[in-house]
This record gives sequence, C-alpha cells and structure tokens, in this order.
Amino acid sequence: MTPVTYSYKSHVSLEKVYPDSNQDFLRKRDELPKAEALEKFEGFIPIDQLEITMSKSSGPGGQHVNKVNSKVEMRFHLESAEWIPAWIKPRLMKQEHGRVTKEGYFVVRSDMTRKQMLNQADCLNKLRNMIYKASELPQELTSEEIDLKEKRILKAKAGILREKRTRSLIKQNRLSPQY
Amino acid sequence: MASKVTERALNLIKSMPRVALNNIKPLPHTSFTKKTDRRGNRKKKGRGDKGQGARGTWDPLGYEGGQNPLIDTSPRERYYAQYAVRRQYPPVSLLELQRLVDLNRLDTSKPIDITSICNTGLFNFDVSKNHFGVNLTDEGCDQFAAKINLEVQWTSELVIAAIEKNGGTITTRYYDPPCLAALYDPLAFFKKGQPIPKCKLPPQDALAYYSDPNFRGYLADPEQILEAREKLAQKYGYKLPDLTGDPVKEMLLMRKDPLQIFYGLEPGWIVNLKDKCVLKPKDEDYLKYYNTSY
Repeated sequence: MTPVTYSYKSHVSLEKVYPDSNQDFLRKRDELPKAEALEKFEGFIPIDQLEITMSKSSGPGGQHVNKVNSKVEMRFHLESAEWIPAWIKPRLMKQEHGRVTKEGYFVVRSDMTRKQMLNQADCLNKLRNMIYKASELPQELTSEEIDLKEKRILKAKAGILREKRTRSLIKQNRLSPQY
Repeated sequence: MASKVTERALNLIKSMPRVALNNIKPLPHTSFTKKTDRRGNRKKKGRGDKGQGARGTWDPLGYEGGQNPLIDTSPRERYYAQYAVRRQYPPVSLLELQRLVDLNRLDTSKPIDITSICNTGLFNFDVSKNHFGVNLTDEGCDQFAAKINLEVQWTSELVIAAIEKNGGTITTRYYDPPCLAALYDPLAFFKKGQPIPKCKLPPQDALAYYSDPNFRGYLADPEQILEAREKLAQKYGYKLPDLTGDPVKEMLLMRKDPLQIFYGLEPGWIVNLKDKCVLKPKDEDYLKYYNTSY
C-alpha cells in the first residue's frame, strides 16, 4: 500500500517537534554484550533462553480456574546461564537453594493473578529481584561514618565510667569512715 | 316607523339629564382603594415582641439545636461533579477486537483506527454524551493473537504489551469532538460538503497522557517509544520481532499527523462524493490555517 499520509506534515508533526529523533521506532538495536563477563547484573533476561510452561492454577475460581492455563513456570539451567554474571551464580544458588532442582535447574512459578501475562510478568519480577538481592555486597563505611562510630563508642564508655564512679561513692558512703 | 322598544328607549334618553361627571361611574375593578395608613406603632419595626425574631439571632438554616443536622447524616457523593467536563471512553475489549479480526470484520493489512471499529457496525459512541473515543480494555489479553497497527484513545500497559507481543503496534490518539463526529460516520460527513477539520491538540489534563511514551502517545518522542517497547518486552517476558526487510513494517509505522484525522486526506480538503473528486485549497492563508494548530 502506498504511504499517502507521509506527504502531509503540519507544524506539530513529530519530525518538527523531535527533529533529532529517529522516527523508525521499530528498528532493531544492537545487542547487549555477554553478561557473564560483566561486573553487575543490568536486569536484562533473554526470554528465549528460559523454558516457560503454562498450567492450571490452584485455588477457588470455578470453571475458569479449572479450564484456563494461567499458571506460569519458568526454569533455566543456572550454571550454563550466560546472562547472569559468574560471581553471582554461587550466591544465588546458596540464597535460593530450595528453588534449584537436582539437575541444576532454577525454577520460578506464579499463579498470583487471573491472567497468564501478568503471572509471567510476576515470575520475571521475582527472578530479577532474587538476582539483585544475591548481587548485594556489604557496603564499606565512609570515613565520616567511621568517625561517628568511634565518637559514639567513646561517649558510651565515658557514660559507663561515670555510672561506675557514682555507684562506687554510694557504696563507700555506706561504710564507716576509716581514718 | 321605529319599533316600540326603540321609541321607548329614545323617549327615556330624552327625559334623562345630560351625561356629566356627577352621573357616571368607572367600570368595575378599575379603581382600587388606597391602603390604610399604618403609621402608628413604629416602635417594633414590624418585628414583634422580644425573642430571636426581634433580636435577629436566628439559628442557621438546617440547625437542629445541636443534633446532627439531616444534611450531615449521610456522606457526600459527588456523582455529577464536573459531569460536563469529564471525558468518557466507551470500552472495547481485546477479546472483541480479536473476534472482529477472526470474523474478517477488520482488515489487518491496513491500519485500524476508530473509524474502522465503528464501520463494523458493532460499536457506537455519542459525541454529545462526552464520548471522546475508544478505551481498549485488557480482557482477553491472553487470547489475543493478531498483528495489527491500532489507534485508540485510551488504553493500559497490559493491553500495549499484549499487542506488541504479537508483533503489532498501538498508538493512543486524541480527537476533539467535531473531528470525532466526522470520524464516526465519514460518509455522512463527506455528504455535508464541509472541509475536513484539523484536529485540535489535547486539553491540558490529557496532554501528559498523550505525550507519554509508556502509553504510546501520538505526541511522544519516537526514541523514547523504542526504549519503552524494549522495557515492556522485558517486563512481560516476550521477544520483540526483527522487522528489518519485512513488508509489513511500512504498514505498522503508518501514523497520522497530529492535525490529520483521515489516512490519506489532509485537513482543508473537501471530498466531493457526487462528482467523485477531492477539492484542495490553494490560497496561502487557507493552507497556513490548516497546517498550524493555533
């Protein structure tokens, strides 16, 4: 079909409002580099490397829950997953050991909603959050935080000593004077 | 000879005195007696004796001596607040849309907009009832399997995901009421012989929605729409198809200009159905008017 519409461009056409933008939003962008060598998990999950199965959900719901495949299960082999940085894998294995099968498959399931699309989104959300949590490193204290900590410790110690001296005086006053 | 009655009447008149002010009276109910003078008891000023009536300390209207007044016993329900200003978008579900496609009522090889949906004959809206277009709902998103270029007036994120998952595109587009009336029944509009109107930009409270790439607004930046598509694909777990070299890509990218309401027709043109021609203005002022939004 001839694109007759392209000839009319008013003063609010997108070419004039966004002159620096490429109008072709269906173009393919360059693929991201392999994640295994990356230091951080960026959040990208390649969907075609996951095994996704639909099944019937549990719970009440009558005919709808009995007939419709709204439950989503996602699994992938953890060790051979190229999209997770290598240093995160053992931590993830330890954190979610209950989800990993004997063969080494990581399993995530969801039947939270009535819609299969939303359940799939929930699975992915859970998976991403797990990987982010597994990649959390203990943060080093800043110099300001270290100073503050030392200051507080000294203050606490001074308070303890004050208490001790007060207690000691009370006890001494109970004794008869010794000359 | 005059009759006896008239003779008698004339004799009577002859013997009567002349008409003068002292022997006539006005018609009944033409004069009224004056009001009686009430200048007597000025002391109370018509307010009576003592009490709230005299002292002007009436309780406010609705006050019930401290008891919860009737107007406060039930909460406010603003059913009709700003009814004339609020926009309405009658719903069409993805399930209905899929059914239309399956029954060949919609042609997926061309862009589908509100006119196409109304031309199926199964959906109506009324501009006079503050209907501003179609609201695409997410019921049937799991069963939707059509690859289409769709243009609606309101939608949600899940619907956008369902359509883009199947390789299609969706745009949210605003039409002002006169344009919408023309879009509802283009044939009736063309028969009027009026020039095609230019579409106004959305009102202030709708401008944010139609400029938002997350809702695929027609005024949004195409670069941001590209990023939003990728983000949504990652969120809902599907892969965006590679359309390089696909002949359908051209159709999927077809968009109307923000002032344009019909594909292939510009504002200002008159479609003459009788003589089967299209009349286009040549005057510079007309062209400027139809090319700008102010």
